[in-house]
Amino acid sequence: MIGSGSVLVVTVALYLGGAVLFGANLLLRHPSLRRVGRVVTILAALTHMAAIGLRCAELQRAPFVTPAESLSLLAWITVLAYMAADLRGRLTAIGPFALGLAFLLVVLAALLPSATTLPGENASLLASNVISLHILATVGAIGVFALAFCCAALYLTAHHILKTKHGLVRMKPLPPLTVVESSAFTLIAVGFPLLTLGILAGLLRAWREGLPASWIWDPKALLSYAVWAVYAAYLIGRNLLNQPPIRTSYVLIVGLLLSLLLFLAPTTFHRFH
Amino acid sequence: MPLSVIGLSHNTGAPVDIRERVAFTTPGAAENALVGLRDALGPGIECVLVSTCNRTELYLASAADLPSADVLDLLLSTRGLTEAEQVRPYFSERIGHRAIEHLFRVGAGLDSMILGETDIVRQIKESYRIAADQGCCGKTLNLLFHEALRVAKRTRSETDMGRGAFSIGHAAAEVARNIFGGESGRTVLLLGAGKMTETTARHLLAPGTAFAGGSSVVVANRTYDRAVRLAETLGGQAIRYDVFPEYLAKADIVIASTAAPRPIVSREMVENALKHRRHRDPLFFIDIAVPRDIEAAVGDLPGVFLYNIDDLKQLVEEDMAERRTRAARAEQIVREEALSFARRLQATATATPILTALRANHHAIIAAEVARLRQRLPHLSPEEWKVIEASFTAVENKLLHGPTVRIKEYAASPDHAAAKFATVRELFDIGTEEEHPEVAS
Repeated sequence: MIGSGSVLVVTVALYLGGAVLFGANLLLRHPSLRRVGRVVTILAALTHMAAIGLRCAELQRAPFVTPAESLSLLAWITVLAYMAADLRGRLTAIGPFALGLAFLLVVLAALLPSATTLPGENASLLASNVISLHILATVGAIGVFALAFCCAALYLTAHHILKTKHGLVRMKPLPPLTVVESSAFTLIAVGFPLLTLGILAGLLRAWREGLPASWIWDPKALLSYAVWAVYAAYLIGRNLLNQPPIRTSYVLIVGLLLSLLLFLAPTTFHRFH
Repeated sequence: MPLSVIGLSHNTGAPVDIRERVAFTTPGAAENALVGLRDALGPGIECVLVSTCNRTELYLASAADLPSADVLDLLLSTRGLTEAEQVRPYFSERIGHRAIEHLFRVGAGLDSMILGETDIVRQIKESYRIAADQGCCGKTLNLLFHEALRVAKRTRSETDMGRGAFSIGHAAAEVARNIFGGESGRTVLLLGAGKMTETTARHLLAPGTAFAGGSSVVVANRTYDRAVRLAETLGGQAIRYDVFPEYLAKADIVIASTAAPRPIVSREMVENALKHRRHRDPLFFIDIAVPRDIEAAVGDLPGVFLYNIDDLKQLVEEDMAERRTRAARAEQIVREEALSFARRLQATATATPILTALRANHHAIIAAEVARLRQRLPHLSPEEWKVIEASFTAVENKLLHGPTVRIKEYAASPDHAAAKFATVRELFDIGTEEEHPEVAS
């Protein structure tokens, strides 16, 4: 029987292929490159889903227990979010970024140590719906933020080209500034409630388990509040304080960097990701 | 049926005064010319006249060889040019495969004054429509022009030849698209009511472009009456010149082209306007005036994009350079398509006499058989005979389907075609072309 590892190798190759095809489309502007890139992206998302499903079947548990598994799930959600955002074909230009990021995340996941068995207490915790919700919502939010980061990077690039007027010919395949800006906002409008839900589920879990008060100062928990605050600042800055997009784009970039730190932050109370 | 094209263009060295003398661009001129040509050249002649500001070309398909000098005389006489020795040297003629390739090049924009321009496709469609309406198109030119339009579409989609800026106004519209995309409901403020402002605005608001429909136009000019006239033409609103700074806060795109000796839009003015608008909405200034109408420092403001005439010229040149590199691929597509079409046309010409003879033979046999049956079965009603005849026809079609496909295949592949056709003639007892001249023609 094919193992999840083998399917994941195929997925990684497809992510890389998709990123290369979309990148080539940006440079050469050939419609067939875009079409093939889309097919490869769909195949990659399907094989990644199969890899995650096989992993569940092999280990008889949820597929987001170790940091490696969470990163893999994050990559998959990022690609799904990209496919949803590009339904109307207006954001194909962020394809190389989104698939490139997914490729890096899966490769990084493969490099991390992979634990396949869990202590009995952790295994029982996983049976909790609140924990599953906490993890899925948080990872889902970060996946969407990753895509918003791509939009922000694209906005800054396009803004720079339009301001300096250098390389305008090469800018043609890029989506218009206003489309990129509004897409980034839509993504945050989806991701922010997800993150809020994830954090609330985490708080509920801490309260139910009767964790000591010191969990509030857990570095991972603190970092998650910081991430929440950054995206809240983005929404307030954009919608209430009327901040220019160039400024809010930088906020999105800082937001994702902090979000990725969540995976690396030391923790006492978080056992799964 | 041999194809040819006779005509002149900027590429045959014809200067503008010659081109305008032979152009059939006034309403009804092309129709009259086609009718005149058809009547003079006789039946069996197909002709399409493509006449634009840069070219006048007559495409002909005729079974017989037509002396080009005679055709040219006719064409010029329909234009009222009976003594036209001055214009003759600029005409050139292309025959057969070269005529096909030429039309494909014209459709792809490779023969245009502005390389890759797309308006020529509309002009070819219109020329073809006029000829078809006048009954001047037969099987050959129908095929040729449909194919030319398909090739034009293919070259543009595969090489992006039709993209990019062709003029200052076009370049401004391209940059606006890069900023705003296809969002409607934008406000365009025009400062000045001169020709340049109008042309640029028309590029922005042209049907099919991102800003067509739903965008509002505001015109400010020192002479209010001229602002009113331009606003009426563009379906917009005229305002007094001294109140235009208030409208900067509402505008998304500002096109400035006044004769003012110094800038009329200052950085301070724009800063004030920005305070009254949503920051996330960009503001795009197009300054095509010389001397400039907008202070250069305006371009340093966040969310503001300022393009002057040099910036837009630069964009046009960059696009043109890119189109030149893409033209090589477009030329290759055109050559391949022209060769393929010429072969298909040749194959049809070769296969048609044999197929016609084959069908005639079978038809004669069936007609004789039906006549014999009519004598033997006189009691059958006309309806019943219709059924019998339809049945015979169906059998004939089924029997001939296979040979028809094979004969077309033989005609399409030049290898041993003559030997294969000889075998076909022998098998089906068709005889040679010399024996059936009426079939060969």
